[in-house]
Amino acid sequence: MSHDDGGTAAVMTLVMLPLLLVVLAGALEFGALRAVAYRVAAAADLATLVAVNDQDQTELERTGTLRLAAGAADTARDYFARNIDATASALAASASDIAAAADIASFPTAPAIDPRTGARYDRPTVRLIASVPVKTPGLAVLLMPAVTTITIRAASSPR
Amino acid sequence: MTKRAATLLLAVVLLPSNAAHAREPFEDEPPPAPPPVFPTPDPVAFVVPAGLYYVTDTYVADVVDTSDATTTYSTATVHESTGTYARVIDSVDTGASSVFDGTAFNGRGALTDGRALAGTYYENFVLTPGGYVPVSVVFFQDDSETRRRAASSPSPSAAASSRAVTSPAPVVGPRDLRGISTPVPSFRPQTPIAPVAPRLRAGIALAPDGPALTSAEVLRGRLIYFWPRAFANDTAVAIRSWRLLSVQPDYASANSGGSEPFAAQWLRMPAPGVRWSLRFEIFTEVAPLERLEAEITITVRSPALID
Repeated sequence: MSHDDGGTAAVMTLVMLPLLLVVLAGALEFGALRAVAYRVAAAADLATLVAVNDQDQTELERTGTLRLAAGAADTARDYFARNIDATASALAASASDIAAAADIASFPTAPAIDPRTGARYDRPTVRLIASVPVKTPGLAVLLMPAVTTITIRAASSPR
Repeated sequence: MTKRAATLLLAVVLLPSNAAHAREPFEDEPPPAPPPVFPTPDPVAFVVPAGLYYVTDTYVADVVDTSDATTTYSTATVHESTGTYARVIDSVDTGASSVFDGTAFNGRGALTDGRALAGTYYENFVLTPGGYVPVSVVFFQDDSETRRRAASSPSPSAAASSRAVTSPAPVVGPRDLRGISTPVPSFRPQTPIAPVAPRLRAGIALAPDGPALTSAEVLRGRLIYFWPRAFANDTAVAIRSWRLLSVQPDYASANSGGSEPFAAQWLRMPAPGVRWSLRFEIFTEVAPLERLEAEITITVRSPALID
């Protein structure tokens, strides 16, 4: 490499470095956001699975069929709050507030049609839809919103 | 450089990670335990009197039929089950005496020559938590007599058949042939006409007093109690013993038992399209020698996510 080529490379580095740093910061922030989204989705899945375990014992003894307990939706909300609390540092709202605002529906008997999603459930089902605000300070550096809201959905039934 | 950048990027992504809080679905439940031990009743109290059977025809009245010179003494009944039991305690011929004479609430009639009627004595029982309790004795008359014809030909009216019910309705006390009312017992017994075997059937319920079910859905890993039940003419009767005939679930409390339930747990899921069943052999207190079978189909389900 000649002296002239070396100078050109140095100038190019100085010019491109800020752009590279911005791209790197964006990639890191989106990666972190994706990781949080996965974790919150898993929390929602587990909450609905737990709720489906709540069965109406009286109905089972009477008819022999599984039917969700009356408090299945409350159970799902409770465990959703507990599960996302582990991710509280990355969230822009408290876990309890997010869980309280979540749209959780219980369909104790089947078949049933979900009025919000239009989905048909052939088994008793618990469905959860939540909007989760996630802190994204890295995006703020790029003049993008400092809080990104992700929407997650989960549904479980005994099959 | 590329490797370092990739390593740095991976480190930055993974560093803020936390352990996921998965929940053990059965953490709030106690571990599978042997089924509850239910107090067994006093065996003496549940001794079944010999020859006991379920009553399906109940006593209504004593009947006297006269046709020409023959008079027939019989008993009117109605086909009705009221949950009582009975057994034959004595059969007597015309004029023969019995140690049970005077004990029947409807008395024992006599022929015109004064001899006591032939028939059968039955003892009635009710089933209580303490066992079979005798409540009354009833006499089923079964006799006839023929008068000698008079020298003159009988008049048409005398030749006509006549029928008399000495105790016309169950609401009043039965009368004997002498027309004397017998006191109505405070407990109105239901009596049999003949030792008709009860119609027995067996089933499996998910509660001690639950309905018999042909199928049941169970959650994988959940401990379920199955109660063998038996019915005599659709009335629940006590179970003497049961035995599991079909294949075992992953956990079974016992292969046989008495009044206690059968507890089972399935940890595996069946192959697609396959349904398991539990088949039991059941013996009852009412008919201890009659073997009954009951079956319930099991569908094992497990909570799963919906796409």
